[in-house]
Amino acid sequence: MESKIASIPFVNLGAQYLQIRDEYLNLIDEVGKSGQYILGEENLCFEKELSEFCESKFAVTVANGSDALFLILKALGIGPGDEVITAPNSFVASAWIIVATGATPKYCDVDESYNLDPMMLKEIITERTRAILPVHLAGIPCQIEQICQIAESRNLFVVEDCAQAIGARFNGRHVGNFGIAGGFSLHPLKNLGVMGDGGFVTTNDQELAQKLVLLRNHGLKNRDEMVVWGYNSRLDEMQAALGRIKLRLLDQWNERVVEIADKYKEAFQHILHLPVVASHASPVWHNFLVFTDKRDELRSFLLSRGIETRIHYPIPIHLQIGHNLSYKKGDFPNSEYQSNNSLSLPIYPSLSDFQVSKIIETVLEFALLELS
Amino acid sequence: MSSNGSNLSENFLPSQYKSDSEMEIQHNYLSSQFSEYKEIMKLIEIVVLKNDFTLGEAVDEFEKRFAFLHQSQYGVGVGSGTDAIFLSLKALGIGPGDEVITPPFTFFATVGAIATTGATPVFVDVDVDGFNISMDLLEAAITSNTRAIVPVHWAGRLCDMRILGEIATRYGLKVVEDACHAVNATRDGVYAGSYSDAACFSFHPLKNLNVWGDGGIILTDSKELSNRLKLLRNHGLVNRNECHEFAYNSRLDTIQAVIANYMLDKIHFITDARVKNSKYFDSFLRNIPQIQIHTRRKSIKEVYHLYSILCEERDELYNFLRSKGIDAKIHYPVPLHLQPAAKHLGYKPGDFPNTERISKKVLSLPVHEFVSTPQLDFMIEKIREFYGI
Repeated sequence: MESKIASIPFVNLGAQYLQIRDEYLNLIDEVGKSGQYILGEENLCFEKELSEFCESKFAVTVANGSDALFLILKALGIGPGDEVITAPNSFVASAWIIVATGATPKYCDVDESYNLDPMMLKEIITERTRAILPVHLAGIPCQIEQICQIAESRNLFVVEDCAQAIGARFNGRHVGNFGIAGGFSLHPLKNLGVMGDGGFVTTNDQELAQKLVLLRNHGLKNRDEMVVWGYNSRLDEMQAALGRIKLRLLDQWNERVVEIADKYKEAFQHILHLPVVASHASPVWHNFLVFTDKRDELRSFLLSRGIETRIHYPIPIHLQIGHNLSYKKGDFPNSEYQSNNSLSLPIYPSLSDFQVSKIIETVLEFALLELS
Repeated sequence: MSSNGSNLSENFLPSQYKSDSEMEIQHNYLSSQFSEYKEIMKLIEIVVLKNDFTLGEAVDEFEKRFAFLHQSQYGVGVGSGTDAIFLSLKALGIGPGDEVITPPFTFFATVGAIATTGATPVFVDVDVDGFNISMDLLEAAITSNTRAIVPVHWAGRLCDMRILGEIATRYGLKVVEDACHAVNATRDGVYAGSYSDAACFSFHPLKNLNVWGDGGIILTDSKELSNRLKLLRNHGLVNRNECHEFAYNSRLDTIQAVIANYMLDKIHFITDARVKNSKYFDSFLRNIPQIQIHTRRKSIKEVYHLYSILCEERDELYNFLRSKGIDAKIHYPVPLHLQPAAKHLGYKPGDFPNTERISKKVLSLPVHEFVSTPQLDFMIEKIREFYGI
């Protein structure tokens, strides 16, 4: 709704679609005529291409990013009585998928990269902890190597929430390869998005990949034999076909958002608080967050100039009503700071230089009026 | 399964698709149906240009229209028929420690949806006449732990829900119907969902009403249940930022709802074609002594998601028909209580004699709207030839 009145909408998927329309329609025609709409050739090819892109041995497509993480935890045997540690500043699904397995989410506050703080992690680990689920929020890699070291010393699984981070690297290595597995989302708004829900898992563990292939398709080993109780969590062929076309453009698109992020950083570094990106991290800027205690004023100001923004996320997970655990305000100060002070600016490949300049100028104008 | 030179057991579907596509008369009719894709793509592109991908306008519209068709109050679009059953059970509070009664003659997902809530599936045998859960055996399976019944309307023939509903009410049990085969089906003039808490439908590509991928819907007359399901399918979110309960992600894609709306305009034509083809089969196959067709009743409007019959020398007939280019199918050769995944439930061969007999003899023949009369004649001729008649 908001995007109709904004001259610079927060997202513009239509523009991206027009770039690939002809190729997509041809491919849809082929898939359609094949009569294979569930787990066919497109998924086989897409999985191979995703595993190459993410530099992991295996990629397994599933119905959405939540299921990607949920099915990893199920395949690892995590369930009632277990604890899984994650960050409270993520999208609610990061925690809810833990609850869905029957396990209990435990939270660890974030550092100045707005990702799980490895320094605080050790205090949260108990004898019931089975896994750590760090999030590469907004496409900014967390301190994944340190987290993995801690996990290894305590014999815990690391499951990476890469929902917003396809293409992101830490020390040159693609996210999703540090832990036992990574869960990715292909939701329409993601850097690689399809026309509905979609997701996939990367892993270098053959046994895990094998379990996921069973779990996503009713536990079926073949058409007639069900070897485990499973789920129905599959990526539609039509969506896989679209994903394949877009994947070929992803590097180019990610380069463009990095370019935009660099302009934002240069323009805002002295006037707004920005996330601190670890020196070895190469983010893909799914969102570009800026922080100011006049966040709501900045948001209104930008909207009055036709620039749409969003907040990721105004209520941290530990303070959601849905939470039946006893957390309170003040438990995770950095996450709460983010909820109260962060604003996400438009950032996507089809944003023009002119639009980027307009956003920068408008923010600077606000800074002159309000922040000086 | 992607792999860099691994020897994982692969996703088995592509090779199955390949062998099926070599058939002259196919079970899968999607290639024919897809001839109208340009018209549908125009509608999908409107969604794309509006960024309306997730629970968009077409989903609301479809939910209302589908519920209206089935004389139900509310529709909740979800990711699949499996999820429809799973989420309905979750919304009704069913989980570990609870027993849920269902037939062992069904597709895997019926029982998978029960087991993945943490509840224990308890099987009750089916009737040979109609392949549905036996009303006569139902009560004996009810224990103090029983919380719900999940009847299956096999092949689109509704169970006697009036009787089942009465039993459920008497014991205070919830009823979630697996109506995945039963779009547009009636019994005594009423649709699935009339005597239960919820009825679950699938729009898997090969269902009578299909989309281009996975999709499903739950119908219910309870506003409370409908509201709960709307939370459960979308992360428990009451708006963009507020999350009122722990939940799942299971949504009918807007673009699939566009397709579902398009197909819904044709559902009476599709149903009529399947009924007509099935009656044609009935009139010829009924006279073959080696074939058993269940009693067709005027009070039951079967929608023939499958034309499902019992045959002597089933495996030989199956192979013979396939060698003649007829895409006969077996739904399903191994009943649920004998599946490896169900081993922990402690059932053994002989526990459900009707189900086991059906599994050994059941065969499905194509009756979809693209099957022509000459093709029906050809199939009848080949079956007669097989039995030497």
